[in-house]
Amino acid sequence: MSDETTASAARATAGAIGHGTLVDPRGLSARTDRAGTTRPAVVRTLAFLRKLYGLVQRYFPQFLIAGIAFAILKVYANGGLTLMGAQIKNALVLGAIYALVAIGYTMVYGIIELINFAHGDVFTLSGFYAFVIAGLSGGAIGSLATHSGIGLLLALLIIFPTTMVAAGFTGVVIERVAYRRLRDAPRLAPLITAIGVSFLLEGLMLVIFGADNRPTKLSSWITGRAVRVAGVDVNWKDIFVVATALGLMFSLGAFVRITTLGKAMRATAQDRSASLLSGINVNRTISATFFIGSALAAAGAIVYSINYDLIQWNLGYQLGIIAFTAAVLGGIGNIVGAGVGGFIIGVISVFGGQLAGGEWSNSLVFAILVIILTFRPVGLFGVDVTTRA
Amino acid sequence: MILTKRLLPVVGVMGIAALSACGTSSTSSSSSGGGGGNLASCQGTFTVATDLPLTGGDATDGPPVEKAAHLAVTQALANKTLGGCTLKYVSKDDATVLKNGHDPAQGAANITALSGDSSVVGVVGPFNSSVAVAEIPIASQNHLPLISPANTNPGLTQAGTSASIDTNSLYPGVHSYFRTIGTDITQGEILAYVATKELNFTKAYAIDDQETYGKGLSTFFQKSFTADGGTIVGTASLPGTTKQFQTQVADAQSKGAQVIFFGGTSGNGCGILRSQMPASIPELGGDGCQDNKFITDAASNAAGAQVTSAPDASKLPTATKFYSDFKSTYNEDGTESPYTPYGFDGMNALIQAIKAVLTANNGQPPTDPMTFRDSVAQQLHKLNYPGATGTVAFDKNGDTTQPGFSLYTINGTAWAPKQLLTADASGKVTVAS
Amino acid sequence: MALMEINNMVKRFGGLMAVNDVSFAVDSREIVSMIGPNGAGKTTAFNCITGLYPITTGDVLFDGRSITGQPPHRITRLGIARTFQNIRLFSFMTALDNVMVGAHSWMSAHVWDSVIKSPRARADERRVTDRAHDLLDQLGLSRYAGAYARELPYGLQRRLEIARALATQPRILLLDEPAAGLNPQEKKELMALISRLREEGLTIFLIEHDMRVVMEISDRIVVLDHGVKITEGRPLEVRNNPQVIEAYLGHGAAERMADA
Repeated sequence: MSDETTASAARATAGAIGHGTLVDPRGLSARTDRAGTTRPAVVRTLAFLRKLYGLVQRYFPQFLIAGIAFAILKVYANGGLTLMGAQIKNALVLGAIYALVAIGYTMVYGIIELINFAHGDVFTLSGFYAFVIAGLSGGAIGSLATHSGIGLLLALLIIFPTTMVAAGFTGVVIERVAYRRLRDAPRLAPLITAIGVSFLLEGLMLVIFGADNRPTKLSSWITGRAVRVAGVDVNWKDIFVVATALGLMFSLGAFVRITTLGKAMRATAQDRSASLLSGINVNRTISATFFIGSALAAAGAIVYSINYDLIQWNLGYQLGIIAFTAAVLGGIGNIVGAGVGGFIIGVISVFGGQLAGGEWSNSLVFAILVIILTFRPVGLFGVDVTTRA
Repeated sequence: MILTKRLLPVVGVMGIAALSACGTSSTSSSSSGGGGGNLASCQGTFTVATDLPLTGGDATDGPPVEKAAHLAVTQALANKTLGGCTLKYVSKDDATVLKNGHDPAQGAANITALSGDSSVVGVVGPFNSSVAVAEIPIASQNHLPLISPANTNPGLTQAGTSASIDTNSLYPGVHSYFRTIGTDITQGEILAYVATKELNFTKAYAIDDQETYGKGLSTFFQKSFTADGGTIVGTASLPGTTKQFQTQVADAQSKGAQVIFFGGTSGNGCGILRSQMPASIPELGGDGCQDNKFITDAASNAAGAQVTSAPDASKLPTATKFYSDFKSTYNEDGTESPYTPYGFDGMNALIQAIKAVLTANNGQPPTDPMTFRDSVAQQLHKLNYPGATGTVAFDKNGDTTQPGFSLYTINGTAWAPKQLLTADASGKVTVAS
Repeated sequence: MALMEINNMVKRFGGLMAVNDVSFAVDSREIVSMIGPNGAGKTTAFNCITGLYPITTGDVLFDGRSITGQPPHRITRLGIARTFQNIRLFSFMTALDNVMVGAHSWMSAHVWDSVIKSPRARADERRVTDRAHDLLDQLGLSRYAGAYARELPYGLQRRLEIARALATQPRILLLDEPAAGLNPQEKKELMALISRLREEGLTIFLIEHDMRVVMEISDRIVVLDHGVKITEGRPLEVRNNPQVIEAYLGHGAAERMADA
């Protein structure tokens, strides 16, 4: 007889309590919980906090809208209609740019679940594309744009497609070279690669275009005041920025909903293998997604240049993070959400800056990011992914 | 070298002869120009250096000043200002790619390296107050004289004047810091004077770039503007990366601001702010805005900005020779930055101080490098040198005794001086020219 | 002539031989079932045929040409469509959109046509929409056309998946347990549907556990166990094959059944 069997035999004879049983008899006795006793203050506070958390989580959009409405009214009370109007205008202009960039983040996340950190830099690079294209043949496009109304239209018809296509191909190349091989790798690998691509693009722009901000000379394209509402000068430029952004976003929405490619994108986002077996070329669909996202960032860069007349190698870094916040706010993966999120972030940035001081603008935006991730990680529209790409 | 060695005994004999001649005829052996007798026997090579931002976003600020300082060294060597002794010139760049311009950490590294070299007796620099904060303690501990051509933050020398600088902690060793330009207290007083007395404004909105220089200048402007009867209707403090100022401009407009003041540099948005302001509201700023970057950034809106900067020396008769020498040496006008002649005067002040030390020490350098540096600092305090920009003299804090600033406006596509203003100790501003 | 031919197909996952040297053929307009106990490698074989998994060794011939190593979307375009054991519809798209996605494979327009909305893309889209409506109509799903796929009752989701597969214009349809989870009435409808598809010229290859369904509709049955094909034949032959009974009921079962 081996030692082991002796030991187990000894245990068996020792009775029910001991290491020989699977069921610990102590666990079989009746138990009472501590519910009957009075709970200490800490526990009560925690319970209250948990309730509060649940409340905020449940009514997050309502809280957000109430907060924004309060901020707008507060500005109205402090500075009157003119200030409120001027800041709404500023918020819309800024929000339009954020929205255009945010869509790229959301589309790429939707389809391959990657936070494409290089997207902000694609925005910057597109600004330089526009800068270079506008400067070709001695700034011929620029002089065309400032020459007459028709000239401006022609110039816009040249600069938008060329820049957007160039940016689109940049996005496609980035996906092909840096992300495709890692599509089935653990999530962290493509994420780190994305950060690497971001640094690479920033470095390239720094070397090629220098460290200083460069005037793009696009601000002279669209000038003049369109209307004056309640003492607020609304310039053609402002209208152009917002109209371009809204126009592009609605076109994209329709594109994704109606066209075959759009359907393929949504299908790929939802089930990649089922899409493959429905005859969808998933690689090409993903390329198309990068193309469209980057092209929209390029549109954002052009309207940015027209509005602010500058571009700098690291511009997209911070702007990208803010746009990413907008995408998360709207529900990452949701195109409509990204658009709405962009405008909401614009409002938060401007009205927060007005009320709390400009130095708090970015802090407020990132505080919103933390709050969303805590209370509503799916974002405002996360649940309804009807237009998910 | 061979020539010098062979000539030395000869010069030495002549020197002794001259000395004995002087000694018999007069007791004032240390009078200017007369020291040559001593100095001819001087032996040794000392290093003088500049530490300025030469690359990146500051590439328009540092290089002309550096060239002017270098010119001063070249001329001193040619004129044998130090007699038998010679000077070695070293140029350090405190700009880094990381910061796209001046970087306090790089400045500190530069001064540490220069301090460790016992042949270095003085440095012209730095350009930026934030770099000075990093450099002064190192220079102080190593007794190394620093002569800044452009630091305007009063906290560098006067305790209790800057919220962000603890002046006393800057000097753990000796006080070896000097500057040839007035402080931001004076600059703020002058800007407030321009706003209230010349432009007749009563409501101003102040924005700063969150840096030592910008915040400080903004504070002094606000103080003087209020003292002059104006009201600050609003303020904002925005990071240097800010590219959108519309929120603040709208805020300023709604509060009835007649002028927007920017405390900061062009690299931190002075010109970008201008481009986003309505042309009807002027922008006021300090010397950080007075450069070509402002004009580029402000684009079509550049006119309507009024800024103060170093007194314009280009029209001064004392500077005529400097500008013609600069032009013939570098084939540049040197008028792009008003600080250019201050680099020249700063380096000349240093050389004059070295000369005074040598003269007082029988034409020979003190053997201990620390004593040498201390003596140079002492001589700088006593200095009264007729430079290109006027008399170069320092008070007990190392500040210039001639604080003044010129007001510049945009004329076509360049900055043009409008008038020179000075302020006395009580803060009373007068228009000098 | 065989429409689809599997020759010595091997699929290895590390040390596990999921499919071990399996060969069989499916003739045109035939209904062939693949049966076998859980874990026999049936779904793996499906995935290998449709290109989702690369085949370790062996060859798949379709219409006489090798399709081994082709990407799945191209295999689908050649005419092999499939459904999934656990329904994999695009749940956040409408029933109509799901079917239209299936029609993607035979559209002549390219990405660019789609972006610029060329006449070709428009014509294509009209045809696709018409065809999708037609399919929903014939499968009795037209009233759900605008509903999200996930909102459909389970049985109809199965049917919608078949509609999506049919929209790819297949020559052969691979059905992975189409009867799973269906009630007897729905099973009856399914069998009628499969027969009708064959009548219309389609070849059907299915995996199924429900023996009543298998025995009733299959022309031939392939039996897999532990990745190995143990037999192949007409329903009656397979039903009485001792090896098959053993595979399903364990060692010795055949003798016991014979005794009974």
